[in-house]
This record gives sequence, structure tokens and C-alpha cells, in this order.
Amino acid sequence: MDFLQLGSYTFSSRLILGTGKFSNATVMLEAVRASGAQLVTVALRRFNREQPEDDLLGPLSAIEGITLMPNTSGASTAAEAVRAAHIARELSGSPFIKVEIHPNPQHLMPDPIETYEAARILAKEGFLVMPYITADPVLAKRLEEVGCASVMPLGSAIGSGQGVATAAMIDIIIRESGIPVIVDAGLRSPSEAAHAMEMGCGAVLVNSAVAVAGNPPEMAEAFAEAVAAGRKAFHAGLMPKSGSAIATSPLTAFLGAKE
Amino acid sequence: MSQMITIELNGKQQPLPSGSAVSDLLKIIGADGKNVAIVVNEQIIRPENRPAHFLQEGDRVELLIFAGGG
Repeated sequence: MDFLQLGSYTFSSRLILGTGKFSNATVMLEAVRASGAQLVTVALRRFNREQPEDDLLGPLSAIEGITLMPNTSGASTAAEAVRAAHIARELSGSPFIKVEIHPNPQHLMPDPIETYEAARILAKEGFLVMPYITADPVLAKRLEEVGCASVMPLGSAIGSGQGVATAAMIDIIIRESGIPVIVDAGLRSPSEAAHAMEMGCGAVLVNSAVAVAGNPPEMAEAFAEAVAAGRKAFHAGLMPKSGSAIATSPLTAFLGAKE
Repeated sequence: MSQMITIELNGKQQPLPSGSAVSDLLKIIGADGKNVAIVVNEQIIRPENRPAHFLQEGDRVELLIFAGGG
């Protein structure tokens, strides 16, 4: 069996699902079930007594086989992210933390310096750190060296649906990495997820593409199938590329052609 | 009548009977203690410590849940 290994955890699904932007919790939960995802992201938010139904811990805990990966969204410094991680671990009981530090709401690009610092501290404390980063091979390697469980380079801007615009850099990260590389952010279609998996990604993290689809549970299933197909193709080994045509049918001895 | 204190709950003023513990606060505002994290003056209060952690005038309390996020 082909498992995704993150720290001491093994997962048979290589699709990680985000829970934001769904029209309601019922649809989100249906999509989580349809996706077969075993690792699911959530965000910390202030309790609002007027909207008790916003709480997702109860309903998500009721789904068997789910491990939560809280994120540090909202943090704009390493110190804030570390604090959020501590609070999140209290609630989730999970060692996973997605370190997400984006100080600028206009483009939501992750701050590499604060992310590195938060990852370093949290990995030392025993968290399974999953940092959301720009597709920078040097940063990815440095994060591996401080003990992160994976690196999660962005395909394109969060929620943009621009696909894997950073493919060339992600290719280098995969080649150099000793830990799973997970494309996080920017995916729009299952074919893009399949492409990321064919490249050798360990997993993909998808949220908006499922959450705002016409039929989120159906799209979740489509992503699950694409991720599995892409992984299988990577495993099988893609044929080499060639600059010119290489015939698949014999070109000689046809209807009296001269040899 | 018991005396009242005022704490800051998620950035808003919240009156509370003097001598209230964190667990009392949860009951008063109707929060399910299992699904919330509580931070009092930057310190996480674990579930087992909530009945014995008494709130003081001016305490800054953050009550956090898991909501949707990617």
C-alpha cells in the first residue's frame, strides 16, 4: 500500500481538505466525507454566542478517521503563530499545525522569515509542522532542516484558482526534498491536482475549488479520484519526453512500399 | 445580591458575578466547554483547571472555537 507519511502518522488519502468558504456546515461535512480526506484543516476564531453553529470541532470529530490540522491564519508574526498553535493544540489534541503567516490581505503571500521562525520553534516543541510557503527551494530546504513534517508551497495565490503557476519551482523542491511536498493553494480543477501528483507531490491541499463548486461533495470526489490517478501515474513512471515524433506503428512494409 | 465585576470577553465588556470561575463564565454565556479554548490574560486554561480558575476585575478572556478555514 502507498501511504503518505507525516511524522509518525500514515494516511492512505493524499487529498487534504480545507473547510473554509462552504455555504454551510452540512455541505462542508458532506464534502469532507465524499473527499475521503483524512487530514482536514480548520481555523481558530472567536466564539460568537449568536452563531454557535459555527463550531466545527463537534461535527468534524464525529467523522471517523479524520485528523485535524488547525492553521495559524490571522497571525502576522512568528510569535502570534506560535501562540495560535498552542491554543489550537489544546482544542484539537492533534500535533499537526499548518503554519500560515500572511501579513498582507491583498495578496495573502506567506512571510518567509516569520514562517521559518515559527516553524523552527514549533518543530522543536514537537508539533508536526506543515508550513505554507512560497515555492522557494531554498526556504523549503531550510524548513526541512529545522524538522518540519512537510513543506506546502503555493501553486498560486490563495483562492485565485490559477492552478500550479509555480510548477518549475515545485519541481525543484520535490527533487531536493526528503519530506513530502504538498501543493497548497491556487488549485481550481482536479486535472491540476492530478498534475501536481504526477510531478511527485506527496499530497495536495484543496479548499476553495471544492467549497465554491456548483456541487461541493461531487467536486470533492472528483478531486479524490484525480489525486489517486495522479499518484498512481507518478508511481507507474511517466514516459520520457521527446523533442520529435517517435512512431507507435510500423512505418515500413505497407502496401508494397519499397524497403 | 452578589457583587459584579467586569471582564473583557473577546474584546467586549462582560459583567459577571464576583467570584465566578471560568467554568461559570462558560455556563453563563452558553458555550460548550468541550469545544472552546479559553485564554485568560494570555494563559491557556485547560478544562480540568476551569472550575478553580476564578476571574478578576479587568481580566482579558479570549474564547476560541474551530471554524472553517483552509
